[in-house]
Amino acid sequence: MSTGSTTASASVPAPPAAAELSPFAYLVVNLSRFVRPHEVTFSGVNSSLPMLACLLAKRAYDFDFTYINVAGGVDPEPPVAPISSSDPVLTTGTASIFDNEDFYDLCCRGGMDLCFLGAAQIDGAGSTNVSAIGDWHHPKVRLPGGGGGAVMLPTARRAVTWRTEHSPRTLVERLDFTTAAGGMHGLVTPIAVFTLVEGRLRLTSHHPAVTPEDVASRTGFAVDVAGVPPTAPPTERELAALAELDPDGHFERDADLRLT
Amino acid sequence: MTQHPSKRTELADLVAMIPDGSSITLGGSFLHRGPNAVVRELVRQGKRELEIIKQSPGYDIDLLCRAGVASRARTGIVAMEGNYGLAPWYRKAVESGALDLEEHACATLTAGLRAAAFGNPFQPCAGIDGSDLPELNGWVQVEDPYGSGKGVWVIPAIRPDFAVVHVNDVTADGDCRVTGTSHWDHIMTRAARQVLVVAEREVDRLEFQKQPELTLVPHFMVTAFTVVRHGAWPGSCWPEYEVSYPDIDDYLVDAEQSLQRHLAAAPEAKERR
Repeated sequence: MSTGSTTASASVPAPPAAAELSPFAYLVVNLSRFVRPHEVTFSGVNSSLPMLACLLAKRAYDFDFTYINVAGGVDPEPPVAPISSSDPVLTTGTASIFDNEDFYDLCCRGGMDLCFLGAAQIDGAGSTNVSAIGDWHHPKVRLPGGGGGAVMLPTARRAVTWRTEHSPRTLVERLDFTTAAGGMHGLVTPIAVFTLVEGRLRLTSHHPAVTPEDVASRTGFAVDVAGVPPTAPPTERELAALAELDPDGHFERDADLRLT
Repeated sequence: MTQHPSKRTELADLVAMIPDGSSITLGGSFLHRGPNAVVRELVRQGKRELEIIKQSPGYDIDLLCRAGVASRARTGIVAMEGNYGLAPWYRKAVESGALDLEEHACATLTAGLRAAAFGNPFQPCAGIDGSDLPELNGWVQVEDPYGSGKGVWVIPAIRPDFAVVHVNDVTADGDCRVTGTSHWDHIMTRAARQVLVVAEREVDRLEFQKQPELTLVPHFMVTAFTVVRHGAWPGSCWPEYEVSYPDIDDYLVDAEQSLQRHLAAAPEAKERR
């Protein structure tokens, strides 16, 4: 599945104009771009967009990598992308079942190269809160909770997170609670890509329809905008793979992402 | 060959074995292969003060909070998953204080279960550094006694009174087999004092003898089992049926009637009629 499900056509179409690049495609494609050759990559529960990103990378990139998911699948070939990112359909075509205890233990012993982990709040050091908004003991909002983060973020070689809302209440100066620390390697939102540099999340590129200054004003932690380029547009293969995975657009509608 | 008396029982009698105030670890993960027929029967029997222990609950704990059955929980991550996001009645129960929560990472909860399963008072767990969870839960870091200089977090043992799991096949003796991933069921069944099982079907022991390595739980560890076809509804049971999203939509309607309608629509309720 990693080789050429779409072949490059002779005539290369012009990249989509900035305004046409949907924040959904932007987010999924840029998550995919964190996947590296010959590595072990993992996507978990409550993680539709990283699941799509991993399946997209299998279709759009020529290199080989191992994709493990929370349903126990190892390099599965699911006939469809399921609504639930822990759905056992994600074991279709797998040659082994690598269950929950197994993939946590793999991560703990340093065998997980890239791990996609969710977050409600992220701070400038790449630590995350998935526990509670407000005081933990008297929460305004009780969030899903620790999940993989507290153990996987410090032990995975690299972890990448995403937020569907880019705002000062999600990208914060100070977390309400530190569920997991250890420094997210990457962060993708509908308008920007950040990468950890010397212990701080740095803006590395921005959606072409949004200015770096706009990104900074919508981010709760300090953002250096000097010399930050627009993100390279999705390739034809990336967009084709995404269209295959979301043929009727239901993931895009459910995500309901906005540039503004 | 020794003949064992059958461990098969009715769903109501199985659930009657669980006293109020018990701690229960529930098999499966999120919307997948949970022992949901038992969860609903706990509600029907009006159980109280249960403690739920599970790395990744969702529908199950939400229903038990909604019906006032659960008063304490040790969990890793809780959500309805799919498109649904947060589990609404679980969320309300924590926010109102009706549910006393001990928040874990999935792997720390597993470490606690492993401690119990391995017969130890605690179990080391990697990671955790920098998290606020140790302070919240009183977890201790110890120095490697073999001199590496490395600090290791140790999680106290978690020994549930019951593990309840939903499996595909069971023998009359109580041997259990799961198709596809077993999620956390292996460690749950080793950590708990007693194991109760809901199965899709009872099969002949000869079937299990052909490939004994596929058996997840041997009969001597199982207290009793019941058979409820489609018992993991509205969740999935691989490869037999998928998640029934319209039924979860119905469950999520915020009205007392919707809960009663949901309970009445369950496979085990239909079977009884």
